[in-house]
Amino acid sequence: MTAITSSPTASRSTGPVHTALRLTALELRLLLREPMVAVGLLGFPLATVLVLAGVFGQVPDPDFGGVAPDDHYVAGYIGVVIAAMGLITLPVHIATHRELGVLRRFRASGLSAGVLVASEIALGVVLGTVAVVVVLLAGTAVYGLQAPVDPLGVLGWYLAGLACFIAIGGALGSLLPTGRSATALGNLLFVPMFLLGGGGPPRAVMTGFMRTLSDVLPLSHVVGGLRQAWLGQTDDPHTLWWPLLVAAAAVAVAMRTSRRRVG
Amino acid sequence: MSTTTMTAPTSSATATTEPLIEVHDLRRRYGATEVLRGVSFSVLRGELFGLLGTNGAGKTTTVEILQGLRRADSGSVSVLGLDPRTAGDQLRRRIGTQLQDAALPDRMRVGEALQLFASLHPAPQPLDELAAEWQLEALWRRSFAALSGGERQRLFVALALVGRPELVFLDELTQNLDPVGRRRTWDVVRRIRDAGTTVVLVTHDVEEAERVCDRIVVLDRGRVVADGTPAAIVDDLGGTTTVRFTDRELDVRGLRPLPGVTRVRRHGAEVQVEGTGPLLAHVGAHLVAAGRPALDLRAERPTLEDRFVALTQESSS
Repeated sequence: MTAITSSPTASRSTGPVHTALRLTALELRLLLREPMVAVGLLGFPLATVLVLAGVFGQVPDPDFGGVAPDDHYVAGYIGVVIAAMGLITLPVHIATHRELGVLRRFRASGLSAGVLVASEIALGVVLGTVAVVVVLLAGTAVYGLQAPVDPLGVLGWYLAGLACFIAIGGALGSLLPTGRSATALGNLLFVPMFLLGGGGPPRAVMTGFMRTLSDVLPLSHVVGGLRQAWLGQTDDPHTLWWPLLVAAAAVAVAMRTSRRRVG
Repeated sequence: MSTTTMTAPTSSATATTEPLIEVHDLRRRYGATEVLRGVSFSVLRGELFGLLGTNGAGKTTTVEILQGLRRADSGSVSVLGLDPRTAGDQLRRRIGTQLQDAALPDRMRVGEALQLFASLHPAPQPLDELAAEWQLEALWRRSFAALSGGERQRLFVALALVGRPELVFLDELTQNLDPVGRRRTWDVVRRIRDAGTTVVLVTHDVEEAERVCDRIVVLDRGRVVADGTPAAIVDDLGGTTTVRFTDRELDVRGLRPLPGVTRVRRHGAEVQVEGTGPLLAHVGAHLVAAGRPALDLRAERPTLEDRFVALTQESSS
C-alpha cells in the first residue's frame, strides 16, 4: 500500500493566490506527463529553427534585412514558440478540460473563475518562457547567437507577445468544445501564422498579397519587434499597439463566451 | 396534470424542519425549449432528498442553478441562506458536489486531486482519514485514467466531502455501476446522511430513489409532479393493495364486508381481494377464524415505479 505522505495541514487554503499557484504547479506536472506536449511545444520550433538557420547560413543577407539568417531566425523564434503555445497548447488544454467536465468540476468545487484564469495565464507564461529559453540556448550553442542590442526592448516585446497569444489561447479555449477541435483549428491557424508571421521566408521575398497578409498577422509584429530589439534593425512591421489590440479583443471574446456558458 | 404535494414526515432520524434549500417558481428556457416551468420545492436540513426524473426532465439544470453554475430566467432560490446568483463562490465552498459526466484530467493522481480540492477549504477533512474512509489509500498514486468505475465514484464522493460540507449534491451517482456496486454506493449515501450532511441525490433510477431517499420530488418536463416520501407518493396512486391466496372451496362472499375491501375476485383457485388500509391483516384474521389459513397469503402494493410511470404519462397527456 502506498503511504500518504502529505499532511492534511499542508493542504490548508491560504487564499486565491496560493490556490492559483497550487493549481498551476499541478497543471504543469500533468502536462509534463504528456510526452506529446513537450514534442509539440519544444520539438517543432527547436527543429525548425536549427534547420532554417542552418539552411540560410551565417552571412549577412539583404533579403534578411541585412542581418545573418541564423540571427534573423533565432531571434524571431521567440515569437514563434509563444504562438505555438497560444494557438495550440493552451486552447487544446482548456478545451480538453471542458470536454472531460474538468472545468465544471473545478467550478462546482469552489475554484473561482478568477483563479482558473490566473492559473491558465501562469501556465502560458511558464510554458512560453521554458520554450523560449530552450530555443535560445540551442540557437546560441549551435550558431553562436549575438547578444541583444536592446534587452529591455526584447523583454517588452516578449511580454506583449505573451499577452497577445495567451489571450488568443484563452479565447480559442473558451470557444472550442473539444480537444480535437482545438487541435484541428490550432494547427490550421498556426501554419499560416508560422510561415507568414516570421518563421518562414523573409518578408522581402514574399509576393505582394502574401506580404499584405503577413503585415496583418499579430505574430509578424511581435517577431518584427523582437528582431528590432535584438538585432537593432529589421524590415518586418513592428507596431506594438496591434498585438495588444488583438489581445484585448481576444479577452473580450473569452469573457463573453465564458459568461454565456455560465448563464 | 395534477401536482401532488404531501407533507409526510421523513424517515431520517437527523432531518429537521429547517429548510436548507428553498426554490420558488423557477423558470429556465434554452432557445425555444422551456426546460424549467415553475419548479418549487424545499429541502430540509438532515434530509436525504431525491430529485427524480427522466432524462431531460430538468434535474441537472435545477441543480446547476442551485449551485450558481447556471442562471434561472425567473424565480427565487436560496441555498444555505445564500442566493447562488450573487454568492456562488461563497456557496460552492460550503457545499459538496459530485457531478454527472464530470471527470478529472487523465493523468491526475488520486492524492493530487484530494490535496487540490482540500486546499479550497479552510478546514478540510484530514486526508489520511478521508482516504481510509473511502478505501483510497492504496490508490493514492494511481492516475484517474487507471481507476475503475467504482473507484472513481469513491474518489468523487471523497472530493465532494473533503470540505466538510453542510450539503452535498450527488448527480447520477450509480450510473454505469453493476448491481453490487450500486448497493454499496447506496450504503455510502446513507452513511453520508447519517453523519449529519444533507444530501440531494439526483437520479433517474426509480428503485434508487425509493430505496435510499427520505423524500422525493419528481420532475417531469420541467414541472414538479410529485413531492413526498416514496410511500406517500405510492399511496397517492389510490393506495390500493391486492391480497392474493389460493383456496378452491372458500366462500369469498364472507370477505366483502371486511374493513377496507373494495373488490373480491376469484380466478379458479386463486382469490384476489382489493382494498385499502391493513388489508392483509384483516383477510388473514378472517381466514384463521374460518379455519382455512392460506399458506400462500400475500399482499401486493403498487411500486414507486408504477406511480412514476403514471405521473409522467399524466404529465404528457
